[in-house]
Amino acid sequence: MTPFGLEVEDLSKRYGDARIVDNVSFTAAEGELLVLVGPSGAGKSTLLRLIAGLVPHDSGTIRIRGRDVGELPPARRETALVFQSYALFPHMTIAENLSFGMRARGVERARSDARVVEVATALGLDPLLKRYPRELSGGERQRVALGRAMLREPELFLMDEPLSNLDAQLRVQTRGEIVRLHSRLRTTTLYVTHDQTEALSMGDRIGVLNRGRLEQIGTPAEVYHHPRSLFVARFIGTPAMNTLPVMAMPPEEVEWHGHFIEIPKRLQAALGPRAALVLGVRPEDVSVQGSRWAQGAAPAEPIAAIVDLVEPAGDQTYLELEVHGSLLVTRVEPDFRIRRGDRINFWFHTASVHLFDPRTEFAVAERGTA
Amino acid sequence: MRRRDTSDGMLLLAAPLLTATAVLVVVPALVAVLFAFTEYDALSPPRLVGLANFRTLWHDPLFWMAVRNSTFIGVVSVPLRIGLALGLALLLMRQRRFSRAARIAVFLPSVVPEIAYALLWLWMLSPEYGPIGLALQATGLERHNLLLSPWGARRSIVLMGLFQIGELYIVLLAARRELPAELYELCAMEGVSAFWTFRNVTLPLLIPTIIFLGARDVAWSFQATFIPALVITKGGPEFATLFLPLYIYQNGFEYLRFGYASAMTVAMFVLTGALVGLQIALLRRWGGRQTERLEPRPADPST
Repeated sequence: MTPFGLEVEDLSKRYGDARIVDNVSFTAAEGELLVLVGPSGAGKSTLLRLIAGLVPHDSGTIRIRGRDVGELPPARRETALVFQSYALFPHMTIAENLSFGMRARGVERARSDARVVEVATALGLDPLLKRYPRELSGGERQRVALGRAMLREPELFLMDEPLSNLDAQLRVQTRGEIVRLHSRLRTTTLYVTHDQTEALSMGDRIGVLNRGRLEQIGTPAEVYHHPRSLFVARFIGTPAMNTLPVMAMPPEEVEWHGHFIEIPKRLQAALGPRAALVLGVRPEDVSVQGSRWAQGAAPAEPIAAIVDLVEPAGDQTYLELEVHGSLLVTRVEPDFRIRRGDRINFWFHTASVHLFDPRTEFAVAERGTA
Repeated sequence: MRRRDTSDGMLLLAAPLLTATAVLVVVPALVAVLFAFTEYDALSPPRLVGLANFRTLWHDPLFWMAVRNSTFIGVVSVPLRIGLALGLALLLMRQRRFSRAARIAVFLPSVVPEIAYALLWLWMLSPEYGPIGLALQATGLERHNLLLSPWGARRSIVLMGLFQIGELYIVLLAARRELPAELYELCAMEGVSAFWTFRNVTLPLLIPTIIFLGARDVAWSFQATFIPALVITKGGPEFATLFLPLYIYQNGFEYLRFGYASAMTVAMFVLTGALVGLQIALLRRWGGRQTERLEPRPADPST
């Protein structure tokens, strides 16, 4: 069996009483692009620095290609880190920035020059080699930072929010470049971001970090369609999933403000008597009567709501519905005629709803899963 | 509020400083330049003498002695002071157990009043009971009287200056802290040595700050020799600590040759300018092409 590209076991880091990284375990297959996503302060950057060896870990093991690197200094872990701020040396030309590592390690000049030109050409940086970082655009600087990491020929790429300093359009474009680059190099890559859209679109798999803990790891589809916790459910997907406090009505319904909502069979086992639960419904599963995007037939008694906000987004329009004192987000086709203050009827497309235990904040077990 | 009002307001706020600068710096400087072409003893009215003062200056061996002594301080003291301040800034940059106390210790000598500081050194260097002399004696060396030899006196003045580096230290510490941590993380990941990092990263990026401090410190070194020379060595022995400010002071306020003293002040101004210019040129060449400030970092939207 080939070893994993990266194995992390029970990795922890505290600063004082704060558990910044709390017993995190995961593996990345050789050549995989694994994206770790989480809000600010979730411990993403620290986790990356623990793996790079820039910050010493308190406990746990880190293996790269089966090699235990936990006690090695950063330089001997064979990783390359791409920083959010690019970390280019302002007093060096692009060529000098690229050859920095090789010069520091004493690689002979002719060989390092050849390698710099090779990588610069591959990244389209060859016309810029004599320039200084301040003369480059943000996107170009990021490519220099990537090129420098490539020249390291690492066994593991670590990327710390490499796109966060780029404007929205360039971000999407560079995202594509990184994915293409990865599929060409096939080097195991651990990519950290706070942007869940980025995570969903880039990762072979994604891991969701919250307050130092890895809450879920899986393919983008798994994480989106089967969130293991309320946090994951709310964090992944825009707009966020609607979460409603409901009461279990065994055997097959939950009650929400007098409305009885039928629960799919796979979840019915969780409906204990008089149990408080949280119902999770994605915006696309809230069907507005009259919309072409409504799913399923209208039930006999749809729920009435008042439109509190209409938010056109080009190819779709988001609506915020006010109902029983809380707001529900849904979406309709862009030409759906509606105004703020209108009364509408809606229903839940119950085939794909989620149920969470409000005490543990974890998803209730589905039938047929562990 | 209209735009004009704003600039009027700013002018008003700057007025006290501008007035003080004009009255206390610009006007006296211009008056000094005018006096340089006169003979004036503060008793009878000044008399224009053209370039006579400068001709006398040119043939005054004590003036050239003072120029040599002052230049010695500028050339020896400034690099030592900046080197020491930089070393301490890099050493005490990280938060360690005693770094706070150490930082205060570095800064403290700079806030002691000049006269008190000079008197303190007079005691420290005293041949009879000064701790420095006694320490030298205890190590088996002959009791060397630092203040009584030209060699020792001049170096004692340099030594005194080496402890008043609080400001240099603070500015360099701040400049070093401004350098992005990522650059150093990158160096750690490449496994380069601390010296290589210092030579290729820290030093080039601090060069703009060092140039600024160096220029300022040359001017400081020239002037700061006045009080120790006046209090401790009185210019001696053998004129070894006759520095320009002391010689100017003696001519003006002891011999009442204000015209001559003014001419010397002009000469000192020119000399300071020349040394600062030379220093900037040297540091630019040595520090590489980059003399601009680091660009400000974009705001960090997350961890």
